[in-house]
Amino acid sequence: MNNKTYTDEKLNLFIDDQLDTDEKDEIRHSILDDSELRERVCQLKAVRELVAYAYEKVPESDCTNGQDKSLSSRYLWKGIAASLMLAIGMLTGWVVNDAAHSMELASAEDVFQYYKHTEQVDRAERKIILHVTTGDISAVNGALDEAEQLLASYREAGTPMKLDIVTYKEGINMLRVGVSPYVDRIEELVEHNKNVSLYACMRSIDKIEKKEGKPVVMMEKAVTDKSAQELISERLQKGWIYIKV
Amino acid sequence: MKTIKNLFAATRLKQEFADRRNKLYRVAYSWCHNTALADDLVQETMLKAMKKADSLRDQATLDTWLYRILLNNWHDYLRVQGRNVELYDVGDESQLEHVDNYQQSQIVGRVRSSIERLPMSLREVVTLADFAGFSYAEIAEIVDIPIGTVMSRLFRARQNLKKQLLDLAGEGKIPVKLLRVK
Repeated sequence: MNNKTYTDEKLNLFIDDQLDTDEKDEIRHSILDDSELRERVCQLKAVRELVAYAYEKVPESDCTNGQDKSLSSRYLWKGIAASLMLAIGMLTGWVVNDAAHSMELASAEDVFQYYKHTEQVDRAERKIILHVTTGDISAVNGALDEAEQLLASYREAGTPMKLDIVTYKEGINMLRVGVSPYVDRIEELVEHNKNVSLYACMRSIDKIEKKEGKPVVMMEKAVTDKSAQELISERLQKGWIYIKV
Repeated sequence: MKTIKNLFAATRLKQEFADRRNKLYRVAYSWCHNTALADDLVQETMLKAMKKADSLRDQATLDTWLYRILLNNWHDYLRVQGRNVELYDVGDESQLEHVDNYQQSQIVGRVRSSIERLPMSLREVVTLADFAGFSYAEIAEIVDIPIGTVMSRLFRARQNLKKQLLDLAGEGKIPVKLLRVK
């Protein structure tokens, strides 16, 4: 059956298990032959999973007694984290999508296992831009945590990875000597990971120099010969994954 | 003897309520995004459920019955506040400390803020379906609307979320964006 004959309402009924067996089978068959339909179903499932995981753990009220201990296990949270990433990936299209498998995803545990499996079998090099546009200390700290997590995850999975940290506007403060509290941490990160490169937007440096009336001193390892816009558009055209902080 | 039987039944029902408390709280939170309010709504639901226990004819419908009380309490609250459709100012979404990991908190924050932008009627239905796991028929019972309306609300909610989660990433309206451009 042609993809266009299925409305999104119908696909919602399908993913919510509200159709009778014949109708479900018919859609299942169509999915096998129709990648566009598969993608539509995957996106709907991704939305459903994101809603579910967004409230698996919520802040407790001071008055709340009794906790669902089963939800606090570290393992489940790993699964939830992986599920969230996978669901976002399904939605935005940056996870390699083995839809035939992902159609069957039902629980956080399943998703985690699927994600692990996907990671293990797909060893193509990942190229990621971490775009830092804020000078906010906690956000920069979070960006560095994010970078370290990404490097550790891919190292563990044996997947080659290249990470470019591109700073822009106030974000360049992250790489400024005498301004950034993270210079030592960043130097250590680059020292231990040859696949990490640092860039500071040339235009942002010019603007800040004009504003402050003195030269901006960047870390030695920071490349400063291009604007962030140039750096990012070059990479996006080559299919890099973009993460903005 | 009847008194003892009633006592046992009441104790069992109380336990049933207690077992469901955590999930009720999380569903209430998904509607109001406010911990104190979610807690009040659940407390109120528990009290009403205990008082009205006699009206529960079939134990199998306990869940839909409880969530219907919860939803009614929530609507009562909105009516009192004079905001029976939208609710934007009670959220405490800046508090994401309960989410352990930076990356998780960014994604969870992003999804919750997308849900918070939904009209309330869509938010209620989509959380009852996707988070609480109710069937369309059960949601129709809880919200007191026809199944067709459940379907159309769910459709609109998911379309809206799909669009928001894609569009927001490109528009810079959220703290962290995950986007692939090719």
